[in-house]
Amino acid sequence: MALFGAVVALGLAGCGGSDDDKGGGGGGSTKTQSDSGGGSGGGGTIKVGFLSDCEGAFGSFFEPTASGFNQALIDKAGAKPAGKKPTDGVTGATVGGKKIEIVGYGCADDTADKAIEETRRLMEQEDADVLVGPLSGDEGIAVANYAKEHPDKTFINGIAGAQDSTLKVRAPNFFRYHPDGAQWSAGLGDYAYNDLGWKKAAIIGDDYSFPYTSLAGFVAEYCAIGGNITKRIWAPLGEKDYSSFISQIPDDVDGIYVGIGGSGLINFVKQYRQQKGELDTKRMMGNVFWDDPLVLKEVGSSLVGGTTAAMTAGDSTDPEVKAYLGRLEESYGKELAGLGPSVFTYGYYTAGQALVKGLEEVGGDVSDQKKLQDALANLTLAGDEAPYGDVKLDENHQAISNIFVKKIVKDANGDGVPDVQTFRRIPDVDQTFGGFFSPDSPAVDRNNPKCEKSDQPPPWVGKAEKVSYGG
Amino acid sequence: MTGTGAAGRTGWVGLAVVLVAAVVAPFVFTDFFVAVILTKSLWLGIAAASLIFLSAYGGMVSLAQVGIYGVAGMAFANLVAADGGSAAAWSPWAATIVAIVLAVAVGLAFGAIAARSVGIYFLMITLAFSVLVYYFFSQVTSLGGFGGVNDVDLPGLVGRPGGDPTRLYFVTLVVAVAVFLALRYASRTPFGLALQGLRDEPDRMRALGFDVTRHRILAFGLAAFVAALAGVLSVWYNRRITPGSINLAQTIDVLIIAVIGGLYRLEGAWVGAITYALLDNYSREWTPTVGNVLGAERFNTILGIVFLVIVLASPGGLVGLWDQARDRIARRRRRPPGASVPAPAESPITTRT
Amino acid sequence: MAALVVVVAVFLVVKATEDLRQFAVVSLNGITLAALFFVVASGFTLIFGLMRVVNMAHGSLYLLGGYLALQMQESWFKQDSGLGLSLSGNGDAEYDLVGWLVPLLLAVIIIGVLGVILQQVFLRWNQGQDLRQALITIALSVIFADQMLAAFGGISKDIKTPTSWPESITLPGEVRFGFFRGVVVLGAALLIGLGLWWLIRRTRFGKIVRAGVDDRDMVSALGINVQLVFAGAFFLGAMLAGLGGVLGGTMIALAPGEDTSFLLNSLIVVIIGGMGSLGGAAIGALALGLVDAYADVYLVFGDTDLTNYSILVTFGLLVGVLAVRPHGLFGRPA
Repeated sequence: MALFGAVVALGLAGCGGSDDDKGGGGGGSTKTQSDSGGGSGGGGTIKVGFLSDCEGAFGSFFEPTASGFNQALIDKAGAKPAGKKPTDGVTGATVGGKKIEIVGYGCADDTADKAIEETRRLMEQEDADVLVGPLSGDEGIAVANYAKEHPDKTFINGIAGAQDSTLKVRAPNFFRYHPDGAQWSAGLGDYAYNDLGWKKAAIIGDDYSFPYTSLAGFVAEYCAIGGNITKRIWAPLGEKDYSSFISQIPDDVDGIYVGIGGSGLINFVKQYRQQKGELDTKRMMGNVFWDDPLVLKEVGSSLVGGTTAAMTAGDSTDPEVKAYLGRLEESYGKELAGLGPSVFTYGYYTAGQALVKGLEEVGGDVSDQKKLQDALANLTLAGDEAPYGDVKLDENHQAISNIFVKKIVKDANGDGVPDVQTFRRIPDVDQTFGGFFSPDSPAVDRNNPKCEKSDQPPPWVGKAEKVSYGG
Repeated sequence: MTGTGAAGRTGWVGLAVVLVAAVVAPFVFTDFFVAVILTKSLWLGIAAASLIFLSAYGGMVSLAQVGIYGVAGMAFANLVAADGGSAAAWSPWAATIVAIVLAVAVGLAFGAIAARSVGIYFLMITLAFSVLVYYFFSQVTSLGGFGGVNDVDLPGLVGRPGGDPTRLYFVTLVVAVAVFLALRYASRTPFGLALQGLRDEPDRMRALGFDVTRHRILAFGLAAFVAALAGVLSVWYNRRITPGSINLAQTIDVLIIAVIGGLYRLEGAWVGAITYALLDNYSREWTPTVGNVLGAERFNTILGIVFLVIVLASPGGLVGLWDQARDRIARRRRRPPGASVPAPAESPITTRT
Repeated sequence: MAALVVVVAVFLVVKATEDLRQFAVVSLNGITLAALFFVVASGFTLIFGLMRVVNMAHGSLYLLGGYLALQMQESWFKQDSGLGLSLSGNGDAEYDLVGWLVPLLLAVIIIGVLGVILQQVFLRWNQGQDLRQALITIALSVIFADQMLAAFGGISKDIKTPTSWPESITLPGEVRFGFFRGVVVLGAALLIGLGLWWLIRRTRFGKIVRAGVDDRDMVSALGINVQLVFAGAFFLGAMLAGLGGVLGGTMIALAPGEDTSFLLNSLIVVIIGGMGSLGGAAIGALALGLVDAYADVYLVFGDTDLTNYSILVTFGLLVGVLAVRPHGLFGRPA
């Protein structure tokens, strides 16, 4: 109070004053007190900022994303959970003899503005060296651009899946160790056209960068092998009332690909059932949200029969996956461990794994971030670092990894929640779909990519491996 | 400084003192403080000044100013090379000029519709305009859509990103001083005097043959020009603009800045802006945590309470409080009445419809 | 202007004949949305009509009403782990009719009382200073929004309907439509419309309100306790906002930002219809609801999809009305 009292008094000192600027100064605001430059400073502490969403359509994923990131520090940096809630933080994280300090768990709301505001707070006011995050598409693009303007800091994407943040922005200090939204759709176009026999399809999604990416992955593959998209429907992000958009879904298509995420999907399913009776899942595919454990818990019974794809497999019996889920349960209990197969938890987990591995390679020294960035660009996650499949980066710092194609089936294990049945694995899915997407191709949006048959379909078409975990 | 402008020499001395302090500031404060507190308050102050100009001299409290600055900012961001939007890759200076012209045109159009209404109707209609501008830019994806426009190309004048923030600071300072002087000058021209006449006695002015509506529209256009400057500067400052930068919360923030500073004195715009910026950045540090109700995260509650207290206690804002305090001191020294700056006959905040 | 209306009408007829069933569904969407807008805006316009108070916290009362009802519904039926692991904030819990109706009634009454408190504490002593009152209510809405975010979180939630109610109804021509939306909300809006009409036209309270709208000073000069009538009007107006919140929270969802979105809807409705007029609120709500619904669907011309420009149509509606009637369709100069 004294601070701005002084400021106001000074500001008014000349009654004709045109502007502000005060002599009062505040803690840390004068040049002599602190240097605002980056670097780890004294004490050998590595400062890490965490950024996710606690509000908006994806606000429910705040604790799960934090649990994933923390778990990586617990696994590889000797950390202990500081409390029951993941956002209570961790204690005792060290790498190469240096302490890792999480300067804050930033909370955004899926808008780019809030994400940048939180990023600025974490990176400039709290002076973090590395940012892990954000969660959602447009936030990712904004943070990647912010990264470009701050080459002396390092950014590891959380789970934001917009294609542009790596393919187009290409910041040298921004890294993404999980597939983007388009990669997550790999294998679905092939399955729709060749196995389900869809000749004509419609797509519906929220009107922003992540669904563009997600649906682009489907369109690129499905159209290249001969499918036809007859209608694209976009609802503004944040729309709570999907009924006008549901009424636009044409009746004369063989199938619909649904790219609506977060809490919007819950509203969509509710309103679809009101308007059209049951969800006709036989002719529906959904993007990465469909088999997310949170979604299954709430509207899963409506989604049974639908097909979806992503980098995780909820029914995997792989020992490394089981160990990962076991460790998560030990740290944060059954409920959060149940969300371990969610891409949200897992994306932040691999980000944390990459961070620790990168820091190990430079001996915990972040005074020259260029070295850390070089280490990050060249590392590969394998084994228990990436239980659902190895991850390596391409020249745009974008993950190349495998994708699982899955069906949602009736509950068999008796927990009252429908189950996931994985039936295909698509190996080595890359961001460009074999060159279809490139920095020079038109950015994915409402109308792009165009639906065109191609003699060069994505390299994995017809090469999917059969998978069965059910026995 | 309003209307009668009796401040004379002391006013100029005050302005000079503040200017000197402003010029010295970048050499005293950290880069973070210069950018996030000082530069930001300067352009926010310009936006608030456009609101205060209309309110103080025209008796019109307009909430469309953020909508207009959004048009300017979005136009600029779309016309230069950028990530997102139409990325037309024009020269930043050409884009600046076109963006301002466009925003003034939109402002005149808004003015033409709204200027026939007065008081509270005017406030509501302009609020609706501002929010419609927000919805327009968040839904029209070819102009950036929800994710807005990132990595905007700026004139060389303001320097590289991540570089020295003082260049942009000085550019913004020069614009702010120019806006302040120009608006003050405008208020003393025949146009400005007529506007104040319209504010106080619209019927009498109409009887004298003045075209009331046209005068109001022109004033609105002038304020739109000032708001457009703020819009372009906000993009220069952020290097990006999204619909979230021009939403209802921002509209209300600019209103709050104007009210905190004082709705009937131009300099109140910047007093309000710096108060706002300081609150925004430092209130987290001294706000006590009271359960869920108060704490570092509850900045908007603090801001709302400050706003509420000012509206309840001092319709003239902080500048009004200062005037009152000075009057009291002056009276105690038994100066002859009239030596102090008279406030306008009726502050717009209590205008009746 | 008339020509434009004809063009729009012809365009809609053409679209309707292309797919009658879709047209019916879209029209129902628009009408039910309008019903919700009307419930909220009628409270806003009532308060303004009598007292010349523009209550910018009306949207906050809307959202708070919804949240209170939700809170009551949940606290009786649901256990929570505290980790916020729910996308709708409300899993598969089942509720009977009482579990919906009691929270509704209590929330509506609480919001009504809150409205009176706000009026008595913040607005009573500065009657006539309408701009200052607007600023005060804006300040209150900022505080309310932040406190609701703190108390109820940032995640979209909805109030559950009684399990015994059907999910949807089927109208002739295989037109399927949500039961709650099509029957409950529409029915509530009609009842409220009729009830308000009765109240305004047939009761002593209504006579005073009507007289007050015409000439406030005269009414107080007649020795009527105007303050009591004002408090009553604020109680009723706030209650309608709260009721709208419960209906909207069940029909669509509750989330931060819905407060401002419904304040804006109310503003547009009464700017179109005319401040202070109930009939105007009904017409304004219908216009806004239908324009919203049609523009979301029918702005497609061949391959050119212009649905994301739909806000321009709403804007056009507003400008069109203001150009012809600066005080709205049924409004009068203050």
